[in-house]
Amino acid sequence: MPDVEFETRVDEIVARYPQPKAALLPVLWEVQRRKGYIDLDSEAWVAQRLGVSVAHVHGCVTFYTMYKQRPSGRHHIQVCTNLSCMLRGADELFEHLSRRLGIGAGEVTADGEFSLIRVECLGSCGTAPMFQLNDEFHEDLTLDKVDRLIDDLKAGGT
Amino acid sequence: MDRILTANVHKDRSFALEVYEAGGGYQALRKAVQTPPDDLQEIVKASGLRGRGGAGFPTGVKWTFMPKQPQGPMYLVCNADESEPGTFKDRLIMEKDPHLLLEGCLIASYAIRASACYVYIRGEFHHAARVMERAIAEVYAKGYAGRNILGSGYDCEVVLHEGAGAYICGEETALMTSLEGNRGYPRLKPPFPAQAGLWGRPTTINNVETLANVPFIVERGAEWYQSIGKAPKNTGPKLYCLSGHVKRPGVYEAPLGLPLKELIYDLGGGMLHADRPLKAVIPGGSSVPVLTAEECVVDLDFDSLAAIGSMLGSAGIMVMDASTCMVKAIERITHFYAHESCGQCTPCREGCGWLERILNRIESGRGRQEDMDLLLDIADNIQGQTICPLGDAAAMPVRSFVKKFRPEFQAHVDRKACTVSSHAQAHD
Amino acid sequence: MPKLTIDGREIEVEAGRTVLQAALSAGNEIPHYCYHPGLSIAGNCRMCLVEVEKAPKLLIACDTRVQEGMVVHTDSERVRGARASMMEFFLINHPLDCPICDQAGECRLQEYAMEHGRGISRYVEAKNAFEKAVDIGRHVMLDQERCIQCSRCIRFCDEVTRTGELAFFRRGESTVIGVVPGKPLDNPYSGNVVDICPVGALTLKEFRFKTRVWYLQNTPSVCAACSRGCNVFVGVGTQRLLMATQGQQDESIKRIVPRVNDVVNGHWMCDEGRLSYRRLYSGERLVRARTRDDDDATWEDAVRTAAAILKSAAGKVGLLISPRLTSEDMLAWRLLLERLGGGPVGVRRLVEGKDDDLLIRADKGANSQGASWIFGDATAEADLFAAARAGRLATLVIVGDALNPEDGPSVEAAARERIASVIHVGPFVPGDAASAAVLLPSAAWSEEDGTIVNFEGRIQRVRRCHLPRGEGRPGWRVARDVAEAARLEMPPWTSSAEVLASLAERVAEYEGLDLESIGLLGAETGVGLGA
Repeated sequence: MPDVEFETRVDEIVARYPQPKAALLPVLWEVQRRKGYIDLDSEAWVAQRLGVSVAHVHGCVTFYTMYKQRPSGRHHIQVCTNLSCMLRGADELFEHLSRRLGIGAGEVTADGEFSLIRVECLGSCGTAPMFQLNDEFHEDLTLDKVDRLIDDLKAGGT
Repeated sequence: MDRILTANVHKDRSFALEVYEAGGGYQALRKAVQTPPDDLQEIVKASGLRGRGGAGFPTGVKWTFMPKQPQGPMYLVCNADESEPGTFKDRLIMEKDPHLLLEGCLIASYAIRASACYVYIRGEFHHAARVMERAIAEVYAKGYAGRNILGSGYDCEVVLHEGAGAYICGEETALMTSLEGNRGYPRLKPPFPAQAGLWGRPTTINNVETLANVPFIVERGAEWYQSIGKAPKNTGPKLYCLSGHVKRPGVYEAPLGLPLKELIYDLGGGMLHADRPLKAVIPGGSSVPVLTAEECVVDLDFDSLAAIGSMLGSAGIMVMDASTCMVKAIERITHFYAHESCGQCTPCREGCGWLERILNRIESGRGRQEDMDLLLDIADNIQGQTICPLGDAAAMPVRSFVKKFRPEFQAHVDRKACTVSSHAQAHD
Repeated sequence: MPKLTIDGREIEVEAGRTVLQAALSAGNEIPHYCYHPGLSIAGNCRMCLVEVEKAPKLLIACDTRVQEGMVVHTDSERVRGARASMMEFFLINHPLDCPICDQAGECRLQEYAMEHGRGISRYVEAKNAFEKAVDIGRHVMLDQERCIQCSRCIRFCDEVTRTGELAFFRRGESTVIGVVPGKPLDNPYSGNVVDICPVGALTLKEFRFKTRVWYLQNTPSVCAACSRGCNVFVGVGTQRLLMATQGQQDESIKRIVPRVNDVVNGHWMCDEGRLSYRRLYSGERLVRARTRDDDDATWEDAVRTAAAILKSAAGKVGLLISPRLTSEDMLAWRLLLERLGGGPVGVRRLVEGKDDDLLIRADKGANSQGASWIFGDATAEADLFAAARAGRLATLVIVGDALNPEDGPSVEAAARERIASVIHVGPFVPGDAASAAVLLPSAAWSEEDGTIVNFEGRIQRVRRCHLPRGEGRPGWRVARDVAEAARLEMPPWTSSAEVLASLAERVAEYEGLDLESIGLLGAETGVGLGA
């Protein structure tokens, strides 16, 4: 897992804090950005590097909802279903997506292209309903917009 | 009122340092580092600025809790973990005017004698984080952060730290615990952060919007700040987050004390559908008690809302019209708290899930006569008995919804169905 | 020292104490789960909420520092309501496992539910289901459903052993404790998490389903697995029906748990000591006296044979002493040797591994210190064997057991050749039993009253927790019987207390001590082999 570039990056991160343990969340992000998810081997490496137990690392990976323990789809769709989005049709949006992609919450399409989950408030209530696709927010959604976006992604767009 | 906090957000490349400086940015910082830190604390105190994260604690007073003589590193933490449902103002500042925030952070750090400022931003705000990163680099390059800032001899590091999905990390002690590299568990108090915070060092935690006010206060003075809003205790400009069943949801800036009806009907364009009148409003993010339509004749400031039994909180105003099933709404809100509970203490860990299950039964037509009183009792048993306010935040909405919309709950139980027209389905 | 009032009673405590500590020290049992005096404060169970005048909310007693003039109510209606509501929260997702859970009878959930609970359940929803019977380590089983997330076990592994095997995973009501694959809970103190777990989430594999705790007779004693001398409770199973179905004839030890002694072991003990009782039932026990010529010898016959051998070898008798013997046993055999004209004494060196920075000592001689006081310092095994090789020993008496009774001969071959007769006195059949002239069974450490001295010079009482096997009896009694048969004068002891009185007369460090002054926590003498 570790290559020189990665280790250098980790060193940079660790240097920002008075104690190496504080680098845990940012370092886990680095792992996930490179690998797509965080497995036990990575947890062990991080634990050793930062001087904490593997159980501690696993405890953090499982506490924070954005860390993934297995790969998601290439297009990971996170639909906000909290109150303001619900008031503006988030549930219908989610159902539509679920039917369109043929998967339920927490599932990945067979070709590994799409995954779909419900998430809590993303701080975009003014442009509800919306979802986060990988890192990017897609706001002011309508069912049409969503259809076009999915078509786009399926046609090879990102 | 002229735009103050949102003066820059519509400018082209508003995030760039040169644009910020062209508008007068960082003059306040220059002034601040020539001012004794304690004087700055007094100015902010006199301004009446109150925390914009939800608790509304007087900011200047909070700053005075820090030791006057550092005996080691001390820290400012900028709470950019904005996750309160209905709230999206901090995101606006970070994406569109990051330097306003950074200038506020640097002035505040100087005022409390901090050696570093950690900006804890929620993991989902990927775009805002990249904008902030870029702005921080600009600030270092210009000498506004790092060593010997503006030749004053003051050193301050600024570090961006990304969270990874946990509402509880917006609670100041959980934030610190998370920042230190742990599960985001809130801490017992005392000790308070100003005594022992990050890594046991004196720490002040301030919200993004709170810090964004600071450059203006330093530049224009406490008296000027007091002239905005309702002196002496509800002063300054405020960012209101309007969402839900309105025509123009979004962030609106107005002096503190803006009438709620004005926000909804003037600024917000009124109800989304002409034939669906106002039914309820949550005025301060989902953690505060809900208001019935009748109760919406109220000003949006800390004390006015407290006087009618609710709170300004994070100023996340969520508007519900007549098509809203209140049972479903509170079920959704309660699901949020159950999902976000860190699980550390018994009443919140077990109680939030219990509340959600009962609400789920009522909403789906399987409620029992005793369930409403049971909900109230569980809420009472959670509130005030937890380590942190998340338990209260789950209990208060449940209590307010059941008390103020009881007939709707009763109808669900009696008829085993929802009685709100657009949601009416028979449940078996 | 601040004074506070708890339930109308004024109490004075050291500054810095908490309300909970003050209450407990005054005998007021404020209910609590997550607080443990040996660990940091967690404040998460919320069971210890009390009313403090002038505070608007109820406060947790475990984290509220006592202040002068504080007025606390632990039994008001508000407090009782809070406790009942906490009990309700604890129980709504808790599995109804009592009939199959080891913790029953010493379970705080049961006890507090009876004392503080609502009495009925208002919960009609589905309970959370997690993994049950998870093997998390060499000695510990985990039931995730029973866990109340008090975090005591996690704090123990973080703060005491600093091994960090246990952590919380997931969050909210889905929170469970666990270990990660490849890093089981196998530090040398893992058993302590079972003691401190207030419920049956963590159970000891060796104790699981063995017996109900209310059938245990618990005797306060001291562990004899190393020279630390951790204070313990030895739990002997007394359930007759169970014994009969398991084919047991005698009562046996079912478990050992630590007993608090702030000066010796704090709240903890190591796994090896905890499980040291198993050797008593696995090794071949010497239960009947034997002589080389007569397997069926009576006790008297065997003793007479031994006496005869010793008398004829007077002046050429050597003693190989186990440092696991009580001081009483050691003194008796020293006196007997003196009556036989004296001779070389070797104290076995039972050293294994290294001292760790917690409790474990490399010296496994529970009474090495006592041996050095009683026999003096010139007592190396090597010197004894040298004397044998040089032909100066006709008879060797070996008293007490080695570390591993099934080990080979106690005496190196070259020395053994020059010795005419070996007399074994001990609880186990030694590896070279066939070549012994006489074998006399004596009591193991849990089968006789006596005192042992730990490495710091602390004299502590070991107790008889159950009868010795067969003809076994305390080592000092065996010495007395042999002396009598040999017509040698020994003090007329009839109890271990009387032997202790002799120790007080003859061994400087024991001067002035008796059973009462040694008591349950031992007596410091300040004279030790060193830390």
